[in-house]
Amino acid sequence: MHTHRGRVTSRRNFVVGAIAGLKAVVIAAVLFAVPSSAPAQKDAAAPGTAAPATPTALPPGYVGADTCNACHEDASQRFSHTRMGRRFLHQPRSQAERLGCESCHGPGQAHVDAGGGSPGKRNLITFGKKDPTPVEQRNEVCLTCHSTGDRVFWANSAHDARNVPCTGCHRVMENVSPRHQLVRPTELETCGTCHVQKRAAQLRSAHMPVREGKMTCTSCHIPHGSLTQALLKENSPNDNCYRCHAEKRGPFLWQHAPVIESCMNCHDPHGSNHERMLTVAKPRLCQQCHVETQHPTSPYGRDSASLKFVLGRACVNCHINIHGSNHPSGFAFTR
Amino acid sequence: MRVTVRHETILAALAGLALALLITPEPARAQIPLGDWRLEGEAALGSRFFIDEPAKSRRSKWEEYRDFPGGPFVPDVQLRIFRKDESYSAEFAGTKWGQTDQEYSLRAGRLGLWEFGFDWDQIPHLYTTNARFLATEVSRGYFALPTPRPALEAHNSAPTIDIRQRWDTARMFFDITPTPDLRLKAEYTRIRKDGDRPFSMSFGGPGNNFYEILEPIEQTIHDFRIGATWARKTWQLQAGYVLSVFQNDLDAVRADNPCFGAPAPAGCGGDATGAPATGRTSLPPNNMAHTMTVNGGVNLPWWRTRLTGNFSYSLQLQNQDFLPHTINPAFSGNPALDLPQKSLHGNVQTILLNLGVVTRPLRDVTLSLKYRLFDYMDLSDEINFPLFVIDDRTLQAGSKAPRKDYQRQNADADVRWQAATSVALTTGVGWERWDRSKSREVPISDELYAKAAVDVTPIEEVLVRLTYRPSFRRISNYDTLAPQRGQSIPEDPAANTRGQSVLLRKYDEAERNRQRVDLMVQVTPTDTLSITPTASYIFDDYLSKPPVDPAGTGRQEFLGVQEAVGWTAGVDLSWSPVERLSITAGYTHDSFYRKMESRSRPVVGGLALDFHDFDWISNITDTVDTLYGGVKYAIIPRVLDWGVSGSWSYALGRIETRNPTAPVSGTAALNLSARAKPVPAFEDELIRLETAVAYHFLKNWTLSFGYVFESFQKHDWRTDKLNPFVPTAGSSIWLGNDLRNYTAHTLGAVIRYSFR
Repeated sequence: MHTHRGRVTSRRNFVVGAIAGLKAVVIAAVLFAVPSSAPAQKDAAAPGTAAPATPTALPPGYVGADTCNACHEDASQRFSHTRMGRRFLHQPRSQAERLGCESCHGPGQAHVDAGGGSPGKRNLITFGKKDPTPVEQRNEVCLTCHSTGDRVFWANSAHDARNVPCTGCHRVMENVSPRHQLVRPTELETCGTCHVQKRAAQLRSAHMPVREGKMTCTSCHIPHGSLTQALLKENSPNDNCYRCHAEKRGPFLWQHAPVIESCMNCHDPHGSNHERMLTVAKPRLCQQCHVETQHPTSPYGRDSASLKFVLGRACVNCHINIHGSNHPSGFAFTR
Repeated sequence: MRVTVRHETILAALAGLALALLITPEPARAQIPLGDWRLEGEAALGSRFFIDEPAKSRRSKWEEYRDFPGGPFVPDVQLRIFRKDESYSAEFAGTKWGQTDQEYSLRAGRLGLWEFGFDWDQIPHLYTTNARFLATEVSRGYFALPTPRPALEAHNSAPTIDIRQRWDTARMFFDITPTPDLRLKAEYTRIRKDGDRPFSMSFGGPGNNFYEILEPIEQTIHDFRIGATWARKTWQLQAGYVLSVFQNDLDAVRADNPCFGAPAPAGCGGDATGAPATGRTSLPPNNMAHTMTVNGGVNLPWWRTRLTGNFSYSLQLQNQDFLPHTINPAFSGNPALDLPQKSLHGNVQTILLNLGVVTRPLRDVTLSLKYRLFDYMDLSDEINFPLFVIDDRTLQAGSKAPRKDYQRQNADADVRWQAATSVALTTGVGWERWDRSKSREVPISDELYAKAAVDVTPIEEVLVRLTYRPSFRRISNYDTLAPQRGQSIPEDPAANTRGQSVLLRKYDEAERNRQRVDLMVQVTPTDTLSITPTASYIFDDYLSKPPVDPAGTGRQEFLGVQEAVGWTAGVDLSWSPVERLSITAGYTHDSFYRKMESRSRPVVGGLALDFHDFDWISNITDTVDTLYGGVKYAIIPRVLDWGVSGSWSYALGRIETRNPTAPVSGTAALNLSARAKPVPAFEDELIRLETAVAYHFLKNWTLSFGYVFESFQKHDWRTDKLNPFVPTAGSSIWLGNDLRNYTAHTLGAVIRYSFR
């Protein structure tokens, strides 16, 4: 039953609560409102605004980033948050970078004179899907600055040979991914646009921690070109694996020949439905190459005589050091 | 007047605060000014609740590479401080704070001049949460059982243990571009691995008396790299050095034999007779590798020609002291077991050489020539051992430990013709040669391949890429006995017949005809819609050389992989019909088929029996279906977002084995052994569904609520309900671990504040 004393108490508590809420407003105002009035911020070349026009005269046919910004403010705003945008708009190191937008898209005078729109774009490289500019010419623009590091071997690499544009994988004008300006939020989604099967392989039960975010495609590959097959980072497929699995490098006293030639003789690094990313279920994996006598040669199945050779980890139950052994008596990789 | 804060008070305060926040004018830009510097970033705090959480014994697959604690968690914090002119900046980011899989990164730099970075990443790897292990680790890497040994049946009620390891990776780099054409970089990475993983120790004859134990992991990898790049408009030169050091804190693992004792433990049977009390197996030895690389490229003025070259030399060393042949005291004092030398003096040197030229003799024609040489030279000592001790149990005549070299060469020539704006044709030839040492069956193999590719844009919205690549591998000779000679095993006819079957052709060396087709179609009817169907097909037909026709049928017969077929078909879709809606989806079907033939070869009276009717064939097929998709929708733009994503993967593995002819040539027991046994199929399925709604308020705050459903189902007779001791399988002991099925329903809430 709600007494008179109870009603007074409730009303007082509500007032106390309302005062507490108003106090929170005051605190919020102090925290958030004061910075907005700081005069320094208005003058800063903060993201979202193009840098003041440089006093350097523009080459003929160029109009400057401020002119572009007048119509393409949204794009400029997004671009200014990118690494390239920060450099071009705030820290240009060369005349080319000082050109801002036109350093990549080309001189904009004709576009401006035409009042913008499609007719005036004929002198510009838009980098869009329907850009008539040949892919090679578009890529040349990027390679003007980005020809070093991983791109030294771009020419006629797997992607270049198939006319893949830089903008097929990279989005320069805005941040979609945390790093590397990719077209999709993650490397797996970006590469998986074309390499659909490899993307799907990450979902198989035995996999490296790519879908958990601990590895990416570029943990092993250089998409811009490399000297190894499959655009790997290191000198050989095995050297690539040894970067993290150096315990397999050896050399061991007893070497297992298919192991030292290629890890891919037994493993599929993109993912497998077999344990440890093996390409074929054991014991058949081993029986493909081992037709010595007695136990390697039997057609094992689910009968009782087979169980010790097929349950658990099959052949590796005994031949545990299968990648190589440094034990004097380890010729069969059991020690 | 004393005020008692009651439930109504709290509600009223919250209501007042909520009202105040909602009506507060939108704050100005959220970066925090600090003089000439600005601070921006975001921070998130969340909480996770499990409606249905997998039991501990079912978490192996669920937490295989991640940590999923319930309750409060910090998803991520990102901070960036920068000069207002963007000349200097520093960024710090951390995700999954306090969890086993947490990671952090720090970047600092002067834009366009130098950058410093530090990363810390913890990668857990959980193998199992339901292994049963009776032994006690009395010291690191020594697993002891009580004496007298318990009955093997007792291992089935051993305590349940987790088996896991964790990799802690610390990476630091410094990158500087002192001049526009010079770039220097130094990087150091340290990977520390700690934990355990499943391992084994064998004590008896094939398949008998092995004990599945743990491998202690206490390893460190140091990777140090320095590099320099000089780049001008027409040439680039790179030089680099890498030092990689692997350190293992342990050199061996010891384990007590479950079947040791007199009387023998119940369940051991005859395997206890002569069994050693303890076994010792070597662990990976310390090693290091030095690699030096020089790369370069130059643009020549004629025909837009570009030359590239690379030379790399690597020196891999390993010289850890050998363990003795055995830990079994029964063999102590045998002089034939004295080690000929203390260590291997392991020395492998590799050379990589690449040369390439790309040239444009005509405007629409591009010619490419490439040559690649990879030479693996094993200069380690070849050591002769007079005697071996097999599984710490029995003596066997020794042999030499051969070294295995190989050299691989590739050469390619391509011509690409831009026939029209929308059509490009490529044709080419290639060659690959493997030159193997005397210790492998095939000294020389050459593979020639052709290539034909077409890239067509028939209409503006469609791009088609089609590649056909047949190849033909031929070998000089197949010498089955070469590995035996490499080990200096005497040319004993009787021994040779007990060796590898002369009918075998190993698939990585055998002659082969390959057909390969890849197709990709990219359909982009609008700028916001992209559909990419893909398909590929590969067929390997293995041949026999030299031809073998033991049955005189006029048909080549050989053992090993006969043929392999793989095909895949899939599609990826990305669509944003309106600005506030984006849809992604994809489906892939993969099929891998392999046909292999082998022969059951028992040994009777010291000779191997090679009966034609003891042949068996396995058709091995794996099919995988994968489906993924996602929708992101801005219900109220910049205020309320909703997203849903999901994936489904189903894999089925089948091994169908048969005898082409019923085995009748041997004794009843031998015939039974040669008869093909059924192998039940195994399958697994993973489903994940995730949905979240995010409410953005006051421009800087976001409140999200999400739900995740995940399910893993597996049926694999080889591990389902596997007990450590299986009476019908002999005296061996497994860990009995299994990737058990699980289902999880998780709710989460995250509050995020962003000031950018």
